[in-house]
Order: sequence, then C-alpha cells, then structure tokens
Amino acid sequence: MKSIILTLLLVFNLTLTAQNFKYGKVSDVEVIEKAHPLEPNANAAVLYKSEKIYFVYTSDGFNQMREVHERIKIYNKEGFDWATKRIVLYRGGGGSNEILKKVQGETYNIEGGKISKDKLTKQAIFEEDVNDFIRVSTFTMPNIKEGTVIEYAYTIESPFLAIDDVILQYEVPINQLEVAIATPEYYRYNKTFNPKAQFYPVIKESQENKSATLVSSSGPTTSINAPKNASRNYSQSQGTYIDYRIEINETNIPALKDEELISSLDNYRAKLGMELTAIQQSGGGFKTFSTTWEKVCENIYQAPSFGEQIKRSNFYSSDIEPIVGSISDPFTKAFILQNFVRSKVKWNGLYGFTSPKGIRNAYKEGAGNIADINLLLISMLQSSNVNAYPVLVSTRNHGVPLFPTQNGFNYVICMVETDEGYALFDASENFTSFNVLPPRAINWQGRVLKPDGSSHWVNLIPNKPSIQSTSLNVTLNDDFSAEGVVRKRYTDYLAFDYRNKYAFSSDDDHITKLESGNGSIEISELNFENAKDVTKPVDVSYKYELQDAVENIGDNVYLQPMLFTAMKESPFKSDTRLYPIDFTYPVSEKYIINIMLPEGYEVEILPQSEALTFKDEACIFKYISKVNGKYLQLNISLDINTTVIGTTDYTEFKAFFEKIVEKQNEQVVLKKV
Amino acid sequence: MPPNPFRMTFKTLPYYLLFFICLLSYSQTQDLYNASLIPDELSDKVNSVVRYHDTKIDISAYNRMLVTEKRIITVYNKIGDRNLRAFAGYDDKRTIKKIEAFVYDKSGNQIKKFKKGDFVDESAVSGGTLYSDSRVKYLNYTPISYPYTLEFYAEIDYQTTAFIPTWQPLEKYYNATQNSEYQIINNSGVELKSKASNFEGFNIETKGPLHYKASNMPAIAYEEYSPDFDSFTPEFKAALIEFDMEGVKGINNNWQEFGKWMNDVLIADTQKLPESVINEVKALTAYTNDPIEKAKIVYQFVQDKTRYISVQVGIGGWKPISAMEVNQVGYGDCKGLTNYTQALLKEIGVESYYTVIYGGSGRIYDIDKDFSSTQGNHVILCLPNEDDYIWLECTSQTNPFGLIAGFTDDRAALIIKPEGGEVVRTKAYKPYESLQHTKATVLFDESGNLEASVEIKSTGYQYSLREAYETKDVKEQNLNYKNYWGNINNLQIDGVSFKNDKDEIEFVENVNLSAKNYASKTGNRLLLQPNLFNVVSTIPARYSTRYLDFQISRGYEDQDEYVLEFPDTLEIEALPEPVLIDTKFGTYEFSIETLDKNKVQYKRKYILNKGSYAKEEYEDFREFRKLIAKHDKAKMVLKTK
Repeated sequence: MKSIILTLLLVFNLTLTAQNFKYGKVSDVEVIEKAHPLEPNANAAVLYKSEKIYFVYTSDGFNQMREVHERIKIYNKEGFDWATKRIVLYRGGGGSNEILKKVQGETYNIEGGKISKDKLTKQAIFEEDVNDFIRVSTFTMPNIKEGTVIEYAYTIESPFLAIDDVILQYEVPINQLEVAIATPEYYRYNKTFNPKAQFYPVIKESQENKSATLVSSSGPTTSINAPKNASRNYSQSQGTYIDYRIEINETNIPALKDEELISSLDNYRAKLGMELTAIQQSGGGFKTFSTTWEKVCENIYQAPSFGEQIKRSNFYSSDIEPIVGSISDPFTKAFILQNFVRSKVKWNGLYGFTSPKGIRNAYKEGAGNIADINLLLISMLQSSNVNAYPVLVSTRNHGVPLFPTQNGFNYVICMVETDEGYALFDASENFTSFNVLPPRAINWQGRVLKPDGSSHWVNLIPNKPSIQSTSLNVTLNDDFSAEGVVRKRYTDYLAFDYRNKYAFSSDDDHITKLESGNGSIEISELNFENAKDVTKPVDVSYKYELQDAVENIGDNVYLQPMLFTAMKESPFKSDTRLYPIDFTYPVSEKYIINIMLPEGYEVEILPQSEALTFKDEACIFKYISKVNGKYLQLNISLDINTTVIGTTDYTEFKAFFEKIVEKQNEQVVLKKV
Repeated sequence: MPPNPFRMTFKTLPYYLLFFICLLSYSQTQDLYNASLIPDELSDKVNSVVRYHDTKIDISAYNRMLVTEKRIITVYNKIGDRNLRAFAGYDDKRTIKKIEAFVYDKSGNQIKKFKKGDFVDESAVSGGTLYSDSRVKYLNYTPISYPYTLEFYAEIDYQTTAFIPTWQPLEKYYNATQNSEYQIINNSGVELKSKASNFEGFNIETKGPLHYKASNMPAIAYEEYSPDFDSFTPEFKAALIEFDMEGVKGINNNWQEFGKWMNDVLIADTQKLPESVINEVKALTAYTNDPIEKAKIVYQFVQDKTRYISVQVGIGGWKPISAMEVNQVGYGDCKGLTNYTQALLKEIGVESYYTVIYGGSGRIYDIDKDFSSTQGNHVILCLPNEDDYIWLECTSQTNPFGLIAGFTDDRAALIIKPEGGEVVRTKAYKPYESLQHTKATVLFDESGNLEASVEIKSTGYQYSLREAYETKDVKEQNLNYKNYWGNINNLQIDGVSFKNDKDEIEFVENVNLSAKNYASKTGNRLLLQPNLFNVVSTIPARYSTRYLDFQISRGYEDQDEYVLEFPDTLEIEALPEPVLIDTKFGTYEFSIETLDKNKVQYKRKYILNKGSYAKEEYEDFREFRKLIAKHDKAKMVLKTK
C-alpha cells in the first residue's frame, strides 16, 4: 500500500514538473526522455514555445516587441541542428533597425545522474549584416548530446508596424504552444491562416484597456514599412487606448513532414499572418489598406508604383510606334510588344507586383523586377489601344491567396482581352508566349485589375493540354540491332521546357543528352526546328541506331516495341501521399510506332490493345497494336486532363501509372517463319 | 598583344589601308571590348572568353602585398555570367583600395559603369559556417543582351602574404582565354619560390622573371570521366619562404619547416585540457595498452561529446580553437575537433598527427608534394600504425573508426609531426575492400508475381554510400529502395532492417519485398530478367571525338547471388548463356545454373578498377560498359507445362 502511494505521488510529481514551462524550470523527466511519446521517429521536439507580440509606447511612438521563449528536446544526432538558432532582424535604414535584446540560453544534460547546466555565452552569439536590409544573429548552444534539452529566450524590439508571420508548426512536433498578440487600436491587423496547412489553431480574441502618455501626431502615416515616427508633429496627452488581443494555446502540434514533388514545404506550414490593414489618422478615421478583394485591388491600383506606372508612355512611344503602328490585331500587337519588352528589359531575378524605381528607369537600365517588365508591357499595350490589364498573382512557392491581403500577391502578369476572349502574357523570360507563362506564375487564379477600379478573378491553370507527339520508325536488322528515324513535336508548356533545355545547346551536346540513359543508342542527323520561334511548336527529328534492341532467346525474338521512348519506371513510388500532386498544366502524349519486321520472322504474340482510365477519364491511356503485313504498328497515347491529383486519389493514380509502365514494357514475340 | 593572325593575311594595298583605318578608329585594347572581334577558334563552344586578364602582385615586405587586377571578359550566355569574377573579398587584413567595372555591348560601346559603392557588400559566409568575419563586394549585374563584355578593375592591399594568388590562364571548361598575363614583383627581400605546372603544349611565353603571358587558348569541352581540370591545365603558384598569416609570421622553406611552424605556432599552444577530462579519458582507456584500442575509445568519446560547427575569425581559418574551448562547448570545426582528439590522445600517450588535406568526394585533389605553401581545405587526424597509418575523420558523430572512403581517401596529405611536416598518401580502397555483396531468395508464382528477401552487405567506399539509409525515416527508406530498384515495376517494400557493424565496417541491409507482374506474360510464356537487384544500365556518354584522357577514380566490386524459385506448374524454356568479360578496366561475369527443375541460381560479379587511361581507350571502356548493360538485362523464359 505504501509503495502504491509512493508511486502515485511520484507519477503525480513527474507530471507536475513536466508541465512547468517557466524559464529555467527544466525537469529531470524532460532530460531523461528517450523518444517522443507521440512521434517516436522525431529527431527533436519543441517541448514549449511561447511567442508574445505587443506594442509599448515610448517617446518615439509605439514600438513592437516580440518575446520568444523556446524549450527544445534533442533526441538524436540528426536533431543536433535544432541547437543552432538563426534570428533575422530587419534594417529599415536611417537608424530604424530591429534590435535583438535579452538573449539567454542554457543547455541541460544528465551527468552522473544529475542535471548539469551550461550557459550560452555572449561570445557565442554572432551578429552580421547579411545585406542592407537584413541583419542575422546566430547562436549555437554548448554541449549538445543525444538527449539534451536546450532552452533559450530573446526579445526583438522593432520600430516597424509590420508583424512577421508567427510560425505555428515546425518539422518536429511542438508539445505546447502559446501565442499572445496585443495590438493597439490605432493599427488594425487582419489575421490570416495558411489554408493548405493541415493544422488549424483555436483562437481566443479579447480586448484590454491600456493607458499611456500618448503623443498625437499631425502628419499622416501611411506607409507600412516606414518607421511610424517619420516627420510628424506631436502633442502630448495622458490617454487610454484599447489593445486587441489574440491568444493561441495549443498542445501536440504534429511535425510538418516533407515530401517529394511539392513546390515548397512552407506552403503547407501552419502559420498566423498579421497584415496591417488600417492606420488611424490624426483627424480620427482610418486609412485602410485591405479589407475586401475590391479594396485591396483599389489600393494597389492607386499606388504610385503600380497604376501610375501604367499611365506613362512618353518615354517609349516613339520606339514602339514603328513596330506596332500598322498592326490592328490586339493579340498580334501583344505578341510583338512582348518580344520587344523581352529584348529591352531583362529580369533581375526579383518578384514583386510594384515597380520600386519606376518602369521608365527599368526601360533605361535594361533590367528590372517582374512588375517593371510586365507593367511596361501593359502600359505599351494600353497606349497602343489594346485592352490590357494587370493580373495579380501569387507564385507557386508563395501559397494561394484566399484572404484579401496585399501580402497574398507577389507577382503580376498581363492579360489582353478582346471580344473573342483573353490571353495571358509574361515578358520576364525567354520562350514564354501567348498563354504560356513561366510555370512559377501558374497558381490557381489571379486577380484582374481594370482601370475603372473593378477587379475579378481569372483562372491561371491552362485548359489546353501541352502536347508531345512522337513518331518512331523502326527497321530491325538481321543482327537484331534497330535503326530508324524519330520525329517529335512539342507544343505550349512542353515546347517552353524543351526550348529552355536545348535552345542554346550545340547539336553535339543536344545529342549527348538525348542519348543519355538510353542504352547503346547512337543518334545522328539531329534537326531542331523552331528552337527560338515561339509562334510555332518545337519540331525535333533524328536518326538513331540501337544495338541490342531485341533479345534472341532460344528460337524466339523478344521486342519491347516502344524501344527507348517507353517510360522506364513510374515516377510515383511512395505508398501514400501527404500533399496533392500538381502537374501545373494538362499534358497529352501520343506515339505512332511503325516497325518493319526482319526478314524471315513473323509475329507470334502481340500485346493486346487496351485502354486504361483514371477517375472518369481525368487521365486516359490507350494502347492499340496491329500487324499489317511486314509491319507492326502501334498507336499509344496518354492524356492527363487534370492538373491536381488529391491525396485520396493517390493510391489509384499510382496503380494507374504502374499499369502504364507495365503495358509500355510488354514484349512482342517474333518467331522464325 | 600578340600579333593578330588575321591581320597578317591583309596583303594587298587597299586592305592595308583598311588596316590603318582600323587602327585609327580602334586602338588594340578597344578591340578587346568588341565581341565580334574574337577569333573564331576562341569563340567556338564557349560560355565566355577572357579577352584580357592581368594580375600584378607587388610584394613590398614579408607581410605586405598589393594585388592589381584588370580583367576583360566577353560573356555569351547565362552560364558565362558565373565567370565574371567581378568581386573582391576583404577583412581586417585585406583592404579594397579600388574596385570598379564597366559593361560594353557586343560592338564594344560602353553601356554601364559601376563604382565602388555600386558593388553589393555581403558577408562571405559559406554554407555550413555559423559565422565568418570575411566579407565580399561583388557585382550584381543583370545582362541586357548577349554577348556583352565586362571590364573589371580591383586593387587589394594585403597585410598578409600567406595566400599569393595563383595563375590559371585557362580557368574552366567552355571558357577560352585570349590574353592572360601574370607578374610578381618581389621587393620584400624575402626569397620567393614558385612552381609552374602543365605549361607544355599551351601558348605561354616567359616575359621575364616571374612574368608570364598566355595567349589564344581555345576552350576545352567537358567530357565524362575526365581527370580534374587543374591536373592537366597550366598553373603557376608562388609562396614566400617567410610569410605573414593574419599577423603571425610563418616559415616555409619546405614542407618539413612549414609543418614545424604549424606545429609550434598554430597548434602546440592549443592543446591544454582540464584535469577532469584527462582523468575521464585515462580511466576509460586504462584497461588496455594497445594504442589503437585506446584511440578507438577516445574517438568514440569525441564523437559522443562533440558536433561540427564552423566559426572562422581571423587566423581561425588556419589555427584551431583551443582544445579547452572544444571541451567546454562541445563543438568545433574540422581543425578544432581534430586538435581536440589529438590533445586527448597525447594525454594518454598515443601519438597522432594533425593532417591538412583537400576534402571532396567527386574531386580527388592532392597536396602538392613538391611545393610547400598554404594548401588544403580540410583537416583530419593521422594515427601511425606500425608501417602504415589509420586516418580519423573527427567532424562526424557517426563515422566508423578509421573509415575515410569517399571524402579524404587516396590522396596526398600533409601530416604535422612535432619535428615537421611530411606529405604522405591516405588509404586507397582496393576493389575488394569496397565490396557490395547482394544475396537474395526470390519466389515466383505462376502469373509472374514475386516475393523476395534480399541481403546487401557493403564495405569500404560502398559502405559510405549506403550507411546513411539507416537513419532515414521509414517512408524515406522505402522510397530509397524503390528508386534503387527502379527496374522493378509495382515494387512493394514489406520490411527493412539494418545492422551497422562499425568495428568491422560492414553495413548489412535486409529487405523483404514483393512485386506484381514482374515477369511479363506473353501467351503461355513468362519472360523475366534474373538480375533483379543490381542492374547497371548507364553507358558513359558517346563523343564523336574524345579529346581528353580519362580516369576511373575509385574501384569497387559487386557480387550478386540470387536463388529464383518457381511453382511446379512452370518449366524453364530458355536460360541466358554464361558470360565472362575481362578487360583492363575491370571484369564482369554472370552465370545461371539450374539447381533443381524449378530453381535456378543467378551469379554475377563485377569489378571496376581504378585507373588512368589514354583518350584512345575510351571507346573500349564504353564497349565494356555496353556489354554490361546488355548482359544485365538478359532474360530467361519460363513456360506453363
């Protein structure tokens, strides 16, 4: 009886100590633990994370404070990276920088049955200016071993109103998460959650009265990124204000798991975004930034770095007049001006839907970001009397814009509309064309902005399949080698890909790449047509010789009739899928194969003609074979009409592809006559 | 400027006139900004052409040099953008006195200018480094069109002379060099040693002492299996026999003295340890007198206690952080962790040597035995073992004792003994020491489905390629096997277990798997490939003319033994004939033997030898690999009784 009580007491006691998340109160139990109770494969776990964001009133106005406290358990060597922390601090120029304060850290280990503690020293904290905008502070905790628990805390003091995303999910489990955000009534924030995340927190909202000696300013603050104290006049008064509070209290947030064939794991991470939507003006009233899609778009259109840019035409008008002046068809104009912009302004690798220095500057410099290039195209088209509009886009690695925020977009393309329909253009890359955008920009839908202030959604996912058609002629020789001619045609996105891969290659390099992975093949007489002419499909043809094309076993000859054009293995190997597969655009592959049989042989067994479908013809595979005198003829096609395969359909989709591989690798059996 | 071969062909009077007009309107240097004036033989198959590169190194004292660079390069495409080299590093001991750049369009008109303030200033931290105090200014230029030409000037004042820039007139593949000049002016009063390699066969003239000029060097195209680019292209390197490294004076008459300096000045004072850890290690190793056994215990101790974190400050690029500090914080970089291990070994009376080496798996590169200077990019520990050495990689928490296959094997390294430095070769793994032995039992049913259990044992280099499978999560492990056995469609992994024997350095994988319709059914026949688990299908790339000699940098051996069983309803119709191919590149053999009327044994052995070969032999090597690809997919036929 006594021992039972003791055990109960012990258990009770252990539970209690394990729950103490006050800084420095690391328990034996936490250090002793060998594996995560819920996710035993985890290399590390965040035992506790607290993030408090609030604003304090100082003589400079409101300062944003971000207090972070994390306690992390490291289970094994693969988890050692969790002992290194990298903190990004923004620099606004003019002395308004974020400052890192109150950094402290301890490492806990068990040594000789007792907890030992090592402090993070000041010398082990490094700060460096990565560039003009970012300073990074890095530290790594001392004495990390398998089983170590580390704990650190720090505060970022920021002069900026913009609140960084609050991360709610890591690549390891989080046992206990506490977030508290308090924002003064003068600044309104819109909270957003990642719709693709598989974890949603419960939110508690409240209000709290605060008091401070307030300084009221007489100049408006409208810029989100400018420090809020810039050039204003102040008058002081003792006052009260309301803090809007958001609280999250969650336990056991599962680890975010990576998977192949996804654009970015970050797209699936649970996080809380806080976008500044309005600032109270000195005369009362709010200057709003974004509340509805219409409002967001209106604000963007009115921005000097956006709508104003499109209206400017004097600096290029004499350059474009000679090339489009005589043309009447709007799409032809768009096509010509897309090429013109492409030749004049090169993409500097930066995204963005606003032009930071103005499109005129980009035109002069010959380089600019996405907005510079595509706003310039829109401007030129509008000035040539074409109905061209900007389309705001969120790129594939930037998530889907489900909530009305400016931050939801990071890219802009061009839409040309006529009575017959519309087409999308992007002049930032080689080989894009009419409705062929760089794949990064094809993400769900974009928002079209019209000059009258209205806006609406437009679907970005192409409806028209990109086609690859192959004609393969095969002559089988007496020594069982094969030779013949291959002709391939690629359209739309497949042409875009092919051009990007080969348009600048020498024929020798092109041949080497075509031969690679295709066994003992020798390719000659390569002909690559329309390599750079995006108005036409890509046409590639070549002669080939293939040793060991067939196998002679016993009295029979075995032949896989698609030869090197067959799919060798299925790209879908995982048994299950956490996130959907996104093909970006629909694809159609066609093969017409004509095999001349060797002298003295006839077909004994022919693979059967067959059709396979996936999900109501979302994908269709057809295999038609027949013998025609001395010729063996095959007609094979694969149509992928859908672009997204959901996780619940994955198993069926995987099986569909495995059947395709099986069918494509089926053998024809020939026998001697 | 070299005589332009094209000018010499202008023989008639009118052409001469033309020539003079040309001279008047374009000075010779101006020609260098015009992309269309590059001789044809230099613009064939290039990403960029170095039009003119001039490096002047003015050494005024043992601790001071001024490096002036002028560079004009014409760039043809995006890949060529990476060859601009328009950057300069700086820190406490390196000051950028001047840096500027100009861009010219394809006809040589200046279109852009960059002053010092236009260069991007960034921390020069490389991947995997927590912090470094070195910074870099680089040009961030978006080309408007190709080709374009960039002119770059930099003047750097060094208060350190440990790294005198080397000269490599031919810089990389697909890059031609029209003119490249290099000169060292040594007024320091300190002797300068130098070494020229691979000058023969290239157009290089000696203009004076320590003064060279290369001209009209066509680009070299990359070919598979080529030796390291630096090993067959010209290079000139120089070093002072008394130099300064970040404020510390160094001695470098030869490797012996350089090593002694490293030992006395950089290492000796960093090896003190606290009593507690000395006692701990002494107690752990007291049970044995065998130095190797003791070293094993210490190596394990270090692996358990430390991890790799790199911080590079000041001379920290060459001097290890103290063993005391590593002991306290439990981390360090390759120097710190190697030095810590050595310090511990010293305390228990086991001799070992700090070793400087070039680490890299793809690139096997030697410390130059004949030329002592600051070389190497990595540090390991050398343990003398009778007439041989054992090599310890101290930055890994999991590596078995003595295994260096893959990153530091088979190359010249500098070992630092207390009496001085010595260049020796690290262990080269023989094919039989890098063995992968795969055994499998495969059961087929009458429709061609299979179930199998496979065991793979790997050692040496192949151990290092496979042992990482163990620490992955189950989903990733399964995916690894599905990719490795991509030749088996519908593959299902039913179970995986591992045994990682770090004493024997042997990694054992046991995999149970199944696959539907492995054998393809045609009528009443089943056609199947008996080599299920080790198919070599890649054939080295074909070149209509091979220009470079080639090498196989590591040898290995694969052995495979599979027993294939069928139900009684099937009988064997045809089996492939056994094959034996023996070449200088390696040997390949396989056979299929009937064990029973429904049971066969497939055996395969493939040995690839390390070696260097002439370009004329490349087609023979391809032929060897073609045969392997062919025989690895040989099929057998079963039929229904």
